[in-house]
Amino acid sequence: MTTIRRFCCNDLLRFASVNLDHLTETFNMSFYMTYLARWPDYFHVAEGPGNRIMGYIMGKVEGQGESWHGHVTAVTVAPEYRRQQLAKKLMNLLEEISDKIDKAYFVDLFVRASNTPAIKMYEKLGYVIYRRVLRYYSGEEDGLDMRKALSRDVDKKSIIPLKRPITPDELEYD
Amino acid sequence: MASKFGLAGGIPERRVRPIWDAIDSRQFKNALKHSASLLAKYPNSPYALALKALILERMGKPEEALSVCLSAKELLYKNDTFLMDDLTLSTLQIVFQRLDHLDLARSCYEYACGKSPNNLELMMGLFNCYVREYSFVKQQQTAIKMYKLVGEERFLLWAVCSIQLQVFCGNGGEKLLLLAEGLLKKHVASHSLHEPEALIVYISVLEQQAKYGDALEILSGKLGSLFVIDVDRLRIQGRLLARAGDYSDAANIFQKILELSPDDWECFLHYLGCLLEDDTNWCNGVPNDPILPSKHMDCKLSHLKEEVFDSRMSDASEFVQKLQAGTSDNTLRCPYLANLEVERRKHLYGKGDDDKLMDALMQYFFRFGHLACFTSDVEVFLEVLTTDKKTEFLEKLKKGSESLSTVPTKVLGQSITILKVQEVVGKMYKLSKSELEGSAVQMVELYCRNLPLSKDLDPQENMHGEELLSMACNVLVQLFWRTRHLGYFIEAIMILEFGLTIRRYVWQYKILLLHLYSLVGALSSAYECYKSLDAKNILMETVSHHILPQMLVSPLWVDLNNLLKDYLKFMDDHFRESADLTFLAYRHRNYSKVIEFVQFKEQLQHSNQYLVARVEAPILHLKQNADNIEEEERVLESLKFGIQFIELSNEIGSKSLTFNEDLQSRPWWTPTSEKNYLLGPFEGISFFPRENMTKEREANVLRVIERKSLLPRMIYLSIRSASALLKENFEVNGSLSDPKISSELKFLLERYAKLLGFSLSDSIEVVLGVSSGVKPSSTIDSDLIDWLNFAVFLNAWNLSSHELAQPDLDGYKAGSWHIVDSLLKKYISEKVRSMDPLICSPWVDLPILVQLVSEPLAWHGLVLQSRVRSSLPSGKRKKKGGPDSTSPPFHAIRESIQSSCGAIEDVMKWLREQINRPEDENLETTLSFLQGKGQNEGPGQVFKIVETFSSSINDTQLGDWISQAVKCWSPVDVARKIVTGKCTVLSEFLQMCESKMKLLQALKQQIAQV
Repeated sequence: MTTIRRFCCNDLLRFASVNLDHLTETFNMSFYMTYLARWPDYFHVAEGPGNRIMGYIMGKVEGQGESWHGHVTAVTVAPEYRRQQLAKKLMNLLEEISDKIDKAYFVDLFVRASNTPAIKMYEKLGYVIYRRVLRYYSGEEDGLDMRKALSRDVDKKSIIPLKRPITPDELEYD
Repeated sequence: MASKFGLAGGIPERRVRPIWDAIDSRQFKNALKHSASLLAKYPNSPYALALKALILERMGKPEEALSVCLSAKELLYKNDTFLMDDLTLSTLQIVFQRLDHLDLARSCYEYACGKSPNNLELMMGLFNCYVREYSFVKQQQTAIKMYKLVGEERFLLWAVCSIQLQVFCGNGGEKLLLLAEGLLKKHVASHSLHEPEALIVYISVLEQQAKYGDALEILSGKLGSLFVIDVDRLRIQGRLLARAGDYSDAANIFQKILELSPDDWECFLHYLGCLLEDDTNWCNGVPNDPILPSKHMDCKLSHLKEEVFDSRMSDASEFVQKLQAGTSDNTLRCPYLANLEVERRKHLYGKGDDDKLMDALMQYFFRFGHLACFTSDVEVFLEVLTTDKKTEFLEKLKKGSESLSTVPTKVLGQSITILKVQEVVGKMYKLSKSELEGSAVQMVELYCRNLPLSKDLDPQENMHGEELLSMACNVLVQLFWRTRHLGYFIEAIMILEFGLTIRRYVWQYKILLLHLYSLVGALSSAYECYKSLDAKNILMETVSHHILPQMLVSPLWVDLNNLLKDYLKFMDDHFRESADLTFLAYRHRNYSKVIEFVQFKEQLQHSNQYLVARVEAPILHLKQNADNIEEEERVLESLKFGIQFIELSNEIGSKSLTFNEDLQSRPWWTPTSEKNYLLGPFEGISFFPRENMTKEREANVLRVIERKSLLPRMIYLSIRSASALLKENFEVNGSLSDPKISSELKFLLERYAKLLGFSLSDSIEVVLGVSSGVKPSSTIDSDLIDWLNFAVFLNAWNLSSHELAQPDLDGYKAGSWHIVDSLLKKYISEKVRSMDPLICSPWVDLPILVQLVSEPLAWHGLVLQSRVRSSLPSGKRKKKGGPDSTSPPFHAIRESIQSSCGAIEDVMKWLREQINRPEDENLETTLSFLQGKGQNEGPGQVFKIVETFSSSINDTQLGDWISQAVKCWSPVDVARKIVTGKCTVLSEFLQMCESKMKLLQALKQQIAQV
């Protein structure tokens, strides 16, 4: 019972029950609005009966040449609606848009190395750990860069894991 | 910024680069040095000056920056040989914008565009300036010029968006849309369209003019293929058909969408709506309220003939069956909920069958009863059942669940669901006290028993059965409501704190605790809970309603100040940057976001909470500085002597407010910040569903703000009025001469009285009557603080006016002093006398006492300070023929000081008694609420469960982290949190009183010297 539609500004006023969760970051306004202004197709919300916000996904598309890719910046689901594969549906949507509309080579995301439940979920969705980014989170915790190849990357070159960890300043994009 | 290199006004890049580098690394002094040498070489370069201005602004020297900017601007205008480049202009623009001079930035661009009319880059800069100023007409004109110049699709769309903005956010008539349509049509004919966003805008322009047929034609033509994802196109198509009244085709389209994505609930509602030719969803195209969408799913059915209705419903049922059969994904709820909606519509049509509806509910329960969202999913369907049927359904659920599942997490989920349904159908209100206690016990037992299910979860993950503690808390609150026994509150706090000991991230517990702590008077603990929610950025707008209203009437001024400051900063920052983000949407050709962003900014600008904060923040500063008249005068000066607030009050009638708060997270017993059911009697009614009180709330906020925004000016005038006659008249910039003060203050008093519902003379009679005991003190209870403020300002006015003649022993001047004194004394002492001891009651009266001291008494203190100051022979200002210190007015001042001292002393005495009670004693009293003397009823039953559980934990069953957490559980610590939370508030209040006392003592001494 999920209507997935583009995220709009007013949703910012209604997503408190999702964002009060301590693992969901509430960014500043220019962050959300930059995503809305630049990549509205990558920012979707799932609504349930009574127009309750069940969860949302925000992302972008960036890169050059063979590193042209979709990126998942945040995906989150309200506690009330967990264990219903909603995150999977949202991820699939972003992958589809990266694949079909933007013809990207892969989709990637960053996750805290300690966030085992999330890592497991992404693995189930077909993501592999591509590389480790040392002290990516506030200079303290390592991040894992996980990737999933899209149809354009026929040989799945984009997801061959890097042998060594990298530092945040070696990252190509913010 | 570092990217903005290039040849600027003929300056080579290598000379500029060090300046930008220094700015980027925030080495402003260094940057200024480089800038000086650049200016030495290019003294007349506007770009070099603009850079200097930029540095100065960053260094916090706005005035110097402005003057340098203005010189640069002058140079630009004066010398035609200078290159009008975008780099110079955009640098100037940045500085002007930061200095709040958007107009100056714009005029530079206007001038430059006049000089080089075909420079696209400059025109874009100019367009951006208009975007920043929300000048939609100018935006449109500029965009059209650009479009004519280069013929690009994007500039046409910029113009179209600017037209739409005139219609939706400006004063433009809808006729303008015709112009937009014409422009688009012409362009499409010659160039077609290339972006899906452009098509969305084109369709919206047609839709806004109700030209649905035209829009549909375009969508089904070649342009329709711009939508890569089918469902996106179909959704628009369905909407257009429905708006056009072509319900049968619309229903077919929605059916198609459901076949592609069978879980789309909104689409199902549209499908059913169209099938039943119901236009509720499609009227005017404007959703009722973007923030509070209708939860009840309004619909209109009565116009259909019975046989038509029947056949359509059977079509719907058939389709729903098909959907159910066609999916193997067992997480899809929509096809099953759809059954319920079909039955609900039958009910609404008058052909409902309760048994069928209940069957459908049971089917839904069998599939999804274990999910946390079951109850909120079906809430709206339960509403159509009668009370008896609801009870019957509940029984069925209980029976049905017995044989259902063996998976422990599912069993738990179903048990929780049943308890939740019990709450939603209003069953709780009918239970007896002991049944309710039993229910709370059951919930907490269930929670404890099922903790082992979560032992392998990451501590950050939601645990199984977490909601049970929130539900138990709600039951305990209801028990308090019925019995007025504070023990249930303490117990609820204990249970929730227990839950937080195990997993400290549960925000639902924190919100409940925040309200419970507020209710028992432990406001500083409530504030701690609020802080732990980490409600930052936009959440400040949607979540701070939980704490802000209590803080506004509390003595926790430092915390309140932070709360207001952070919130206002967030809002103002957004208003400042919002236009630049809108421009970003233009630039990235996401035109539909342009309108959305502008409308969203307006939504926030009209926020009721923002209005409240803008008025309350300065009032807080006035309260904080009221014990020092010089400081207070500085605050007043910074507020332009309150004139802007008077304007705000004048305009208030024309304001419409938005309510952006997320109220869904509030406990049922306080659905909005103005309402607290617990304060009233228990009436055995259910508050599901919640009522929509927006209208009522709007009127209330406007009334309060209209009154409050008069305060700063009245305070200012009162200070001036109190010193009138006693010292030479002098006029300083913006301030007034005495006769004007008196007449303006009178005018405001009349307004204030009117807002209280009286004429000036009637209000005077009211305060006189109440103060002398002729009228009962309850006369002014409902607006107590306002009435006392009125009395204080009335007295101040009386000091410089001869109008109010009231025969009195000490002459009329003394009369109004006496009114204030006796009112303050009466109400303050009355409140102190009626206060219960620290621990034993929820605090309803303390906020009133705090307000009495921090408002009317404080303002009166200012009147006294002003009066005494002006009668003192100071070094510079010599008293000129001042009145004799033994004359009646001086006598009245002395008495007034004495009387205020007395009132404050009463408060301080009470406060000290409370604060000085030994902590052990307080803790004991708190905990004793939970220790029933061997009885099996009353507060403490639920607490016992937790106590027993935590004293007999089984490490292997619970796993490491849970058992470790349970071992940390300490009820005494929680009791201490309650006590400390209260004592902190009292200590802050005591400090406020001490400061006032010190002031009054000083005044007493000063006046003795006169």
